[in-house]
Amino acid sequence: MVIKKLKKIISYFDNLSFKYKTSFLVFIIAGGMICIVLLSQISTFTIKQDFDVLFDKRTKSLIKLENIKDTYNVNIQDTIKDLENEELTISQAQDVLLLAQQLINKNWNSYKKELENKDDRFYIISFIKKFFTSDENYFENKVLKQNIMKNIDKKMFKIKYYLSYMIQNKIDYDYANLNLEINAISIYITSLINYDLSLAINEKRNTQKIFNIIMILSIISIILVFLFSIVLSVYIINNFKILHNSLEQKVEEKTKELTELNAYLEIKISKEVAQNRKKDIIMFQQARLASLGEMLNNIAHQWRQPLGSITMIVQSFQTKMLHGKLTDKFVDEKVQDALLLANNMSQTLDDFKNFFSPNKQKSTFEIKDCLDHSIELSKYSLEKQNIKIKLEIKQNVKLNTFYNELSHVFLNIISNSKDALCNISNKDDRIIKIIVNKYKHSAVVNLIDNGGGINEEIVSKIFEPYYTTKYKSAGTGIGLYMSKQIIEKHMNGSISYKNIVHKIKPDSNENFKCSLFTIKIPITNNKEAANE
Amino acid sequence: MNNRDLNILQQFNILYLEDDVNLLKHTKDVLEDFVNNIYAVKTSNEAMDALLNKKVDVIISDILLEDENGIDFLKHIKQKDINIPTILTTAHTDTKYLLDAIKLKVENYIIKPINIKELLNSLHDVLLPIVQQKEIQKNSNVIRTISAITDSKQVDIVKFIINNLDNQNLFTASYSDIMEEVSISKPTLIKLFKELAEKNILVKVQHKTYRFNEAALKNI
Repeated sequence: MVIKKLKKIISYFDNLSFKYKTSFLVFIIAGGMICIVLLSQISTFTIKQDFDVLFDKRTKSLIKLENIKDTYNVNIQDTIKDLENEELTISQAQDVLLLAQQLINKNWNSYKKELENKDDRFYIISFIKKFFTSDENYFENKVLKQNIMKNIDKKMFKIKYYLSYMIQNKIDYDYANLNLEINAISIYITSLINYDLSLAINEKRNTQKIFNIIMILSIISIILVFLFSIVLSVYIINNFKILHNSLEQKVEEKTKELTELNAYLEIKISKEVAQNRKKDIIMFQQARLASLGEMLNNIAHQWRQPLGSITMIVQSFQTKMLHGKLTDKFVDEKVQDALLLANNMSQTLDDFKNFFSPNKQKSTFEIKDCLDHSIELSKYSLEKQNIKIKLEIKQNVKLNTFYNELSHVFLNIISNSKDALCNISNKDDRIIKIIVNKYKHSAVVNLIDNGGGINEEIVSKIFEPYYTTKYKSAGTGIGLYMSKQIIEKHMNGSISYKNIVHKIKPDSNENFKCSLFTIKIPITNNKEAANE
Repeated sequence: MNNRDLNILQQFNILYLEDDVNLLKHTKDVLEDFVNNIYAVKTSNEAMDALLNKKVDVIISDILLEDENGIDFLKHIKQKDINIPTILTTAHTDTKYLLDAIKLKVENYIIKPINIKELLNSLHDVLLPIVQQKEIQKNSNVIRTISAITDSKQVDIVKFIINNLDNQNLFTASYSDIMEEVSISKPTLIKLFKELAEKNILVKVQHKTYRFNEAALKNI
């Protein structure tokens, strides 16, 4: 039964949480410590108390009793003996006897007094003493002591009486009787001393007993604390081990999960990347189609004029014939003109065909040529909106890169500027300025227009795909994104945008809010790229 | 080509405004055979110059000019109270300019490339009323001259008859009705009617009703 209960308690304790176990341990250690400290304090105090009491109560009272005994033996008996032998006069003896009696009285009274107020100052200690020595019978025998003291009182009174009688009558009293009395009183006192001594010894024994018990108790408590501490520590260490094991297992599980997740993510990322690439390709195509539409518009216009002229030439033959004015000279002249016009048309076609050819070869060209070409291609739409375009070549640069793609980027930005400039009411102040320069190892192209710039809130978004401020029909929202892709990915360059205030008109001091696109294309990199 | 008599164009001066130099030259080469004078100009300033200093009957103008607009030019001259019939040529088929053109009462709107027949026909259509106006003026002058040198009373009667013809070319009136309108003696009136009847110009259908025979006039 007990073992079962113990097991139950142990298992209950085992199931306690780590927190409770530790607090339990701390509690036990602290409690044990307090117990030990208390016990040691108590034992120290008891011993000290015993010392004090032994000295104060026992030793002092014994000395007093000895004094009384001595006084009787030495002073009174000797004086009486001297008086008997008549070595002293009566009056001299009288003085000595009075003095001796006073001394005896004083000592006796103080002894009694001390006996009366011997009550303990330390209540706790007396309680403990009582508690530990309850079953022990005191050797104290109050009746015996009182008897002895009563006898002593009686004898003292008798001796006093004898002495005073003797001195008053100045007669030779029965010295033998007096001596007998004195001897008797000294015997009583001796027995009182013996009694007190035996009490002291008894008390000392008690103290020893208490001290032993306390020592045993403190040793037991120390052992208990030690045992508990060890047991609890073992439990806690076990707990730690279990915790550690479970944590290790958990970490392993989590690591496994993470690796799985990682693998999954990798797959997902590669899928996403592939999808992104597909998207990019689609976007490229969309952008291409968008500019294709614009280009077709351009071609249509550029063809319209020569076509009109050629139509007129053809019809002129008929009318001249009608009027009989169809001379050789006229025919020569008109055919010449018509051929020239047809050549122009063919040239236009070639230009656009080149622009859209899927030719992805890098070529070496001057940046000025590319810009000239781009401007030429967008000339029609610019003229239609009365936009002036200025090309400023501070330093021409030779590049080895994708001609068509670069041209595409320029066209895109020019087209954007055009759209911005269309919103300006003043038709005379529509200007696009392009500045080409070389900085370190890069060609820098600044494209400025005074179209008012872009709202600061959306500046950060303009290079994002599918972001457009135009009506759905006007823009696909990928022009600038494509431009950025081309410049950064294909040419290792950079493209950036800034709103600036610029005196774009060379002949006026007027400040315009302008937008500035800066394209940087590294030159050195092109050689490496060419070697690839 | 000759549904219309394009020869009438020969007497007119045309202002041609077109910014494409080639087209300007070739169109001028064609048109100058048909008209009296063609002033081929590139800008609205030159056009204004020609309008003020030359006699211009028709304006042919492109809508999109270099740095300017044909429509604006037309508005400008309308404001100056110059009302000359205009034909617009344009490469644009959109209706943006069409509305403006209608408001300006433009005579025609020709899409480029220009079909010369269409242009000439439309020139003819524009100029025909002017020619006809001139013709009518001429005829009335002839009649007035004749009536001045012959018996004016008989001319008045003929005028009265022609003015009172109904839709079926029938004239209904008694001699006394006519005499109330025109102061003429009855014998002269009867003689005139008889003469007209003889020449089969005025055929009596029934009492007081006569048919005016237009066909008979051609045989005279």
